[in-house]
Amino acid sequence: MINNHPNTQFLTDYAAGALSIAPLISITTHLQFCDPCREAVSGLNILGGELLADCDQAELSDDLLAQTLAKLTAPMETTPETQPAVGAADAGTLCPELANQLPKYLHKFLNHHELEWRALSSTLSVAAMSVGETDYELALHRIDAGGKAPVHDHKGTELTVVLKGSFSDEDGIYHEGDFLVRQPGDVHRPSATLDQACICLSVLSAPIKLTGLKRVLNPFMRFNPS
Amino acid sequence: MSISIKSKAKMTNPSGPDWNALLVKVGSHQDKAAFGALFSHFGPLLKGFLLKGGGVEPEQAEELVQETMIKVWRKAPSYAPTQAAASTWMYTIARNTRIDWLRKHAKKNHQTDELVAENLFDENEESSPFSALIQSRNASNIKEHLNSLPQEQLQVLTLMYFQGKSGQEVANELEIPLGTVKSRVRLALQKLKLKISPEGEEHGVYA
Repeated sequence: MINNHPNTQFLTDYAAGALSIAPLISITTHLQFCDPCREAVSGLNILGGELLADCDQAELSDDLLAQTLAKLTAPMETTPETQPAVGAADAGTLCPELANQLPKYLHKFLNHHELEWRALSSTLSVAAMSVGETDYELALHRIDAGGKAPVHDHKGTELTVVLKGSFSDEDGIYHEGDFLVRQPGDVHRPSATLDQACICLSVLSAPIKLTGLKRVLNPFMRFNPS
Repeated sequence: MSISIKSKAKMTNPSGPDWNALLVKVGSHQDKAAFGALFSHFGPLLKGFLLKGGGVEPEQAEELVQETMIKVWRKAPSYAPTQAAASTWMYTIARNTRIDWLRKHAKKNHQTDELVAENLFDENEESSPFSALIQSRNASNIKEHLNSLPQEQLQVLTLMYFQGKSGQEVANELEIPLGTVKSRVRLALQKLKLKISPEGEEHGVYA
């Protein structure tokens, strides 16, 4: 049972095509787990279709159809559903430990470059995912079974989708598919449950800062996308 | 700026062209006549849609119409009328084409060529577990109530869908609080009888 979802405005931004790449990926990832949100998005897309169908027509140049027909030489998809996502390959060849654990949708992004896990603490690791945008950082976080992430607060907004396992913090426990939004100023200390490691997709709009006394340097600063 | 949705009732001619069936013909038989009919109907709508969004010159709009329609041709074999109406399907292709176009023209993000909007959205978004019945009920509710939405709600939806603006960007443009935008969206969706997120609006602002 998924208890945490993107809100209605967020889903509308998504359907209207207003989101940057990293937040967009986080929503699509949540949709892999969540039928109610998929149903909401499906309705929002129908709304887009109706707004299009109800739009004022603008006259086209006379020869645009002819020009377009002339360009229809590229081969059509021969069979539906089999078109490979561009850049997608068997993610298993690159990160075998994750191939069967992450939604298939994410494989094409994992495949852009080999995942490079960096330890942020004895139980927390991070792997940046480069999607070519500078406003947000997209990454996977992994907390080992029973491990705790350092206490940290947020300077910017952080979006988290639980991909595998579960974790808890002061506010609750989160399972696969849960979508969380942390606002600037939120302080929390996530820890994974004891039975298995927890893997999350996260999107950060600004580096987060550790609040523990012992750490001065913010290790999260290290994964700015190149 | 003027924001208007045609207020006159659409002439829904039950014996008029069945766009879904024409799309299927394009996919199954590479039927250029069917494609031409779809082009003549949806092309001017797409151009109107893009121009209403602003920031696009008429020639660029035609370029985008052409790009969208070429994608329609290529993807038509995967179109399933049980999963989406032609207009919904066209909308998502047009939206994705616009996203890619805007990214290509934005300087701040370095273009990762392989990463196209089509791959960022869920290709199976429409192949949902929801029956065609729910989808067509959604569509007819929207058709029935769209033209009776209060102007201020329609304005927000128009800015979002036609211009690809987020709630936050709409709030900035109209100089109203984000909370107001969110409540207008929510009220509009309620009026259109669309399902909203299970989360509602409980957690904080994100745009």
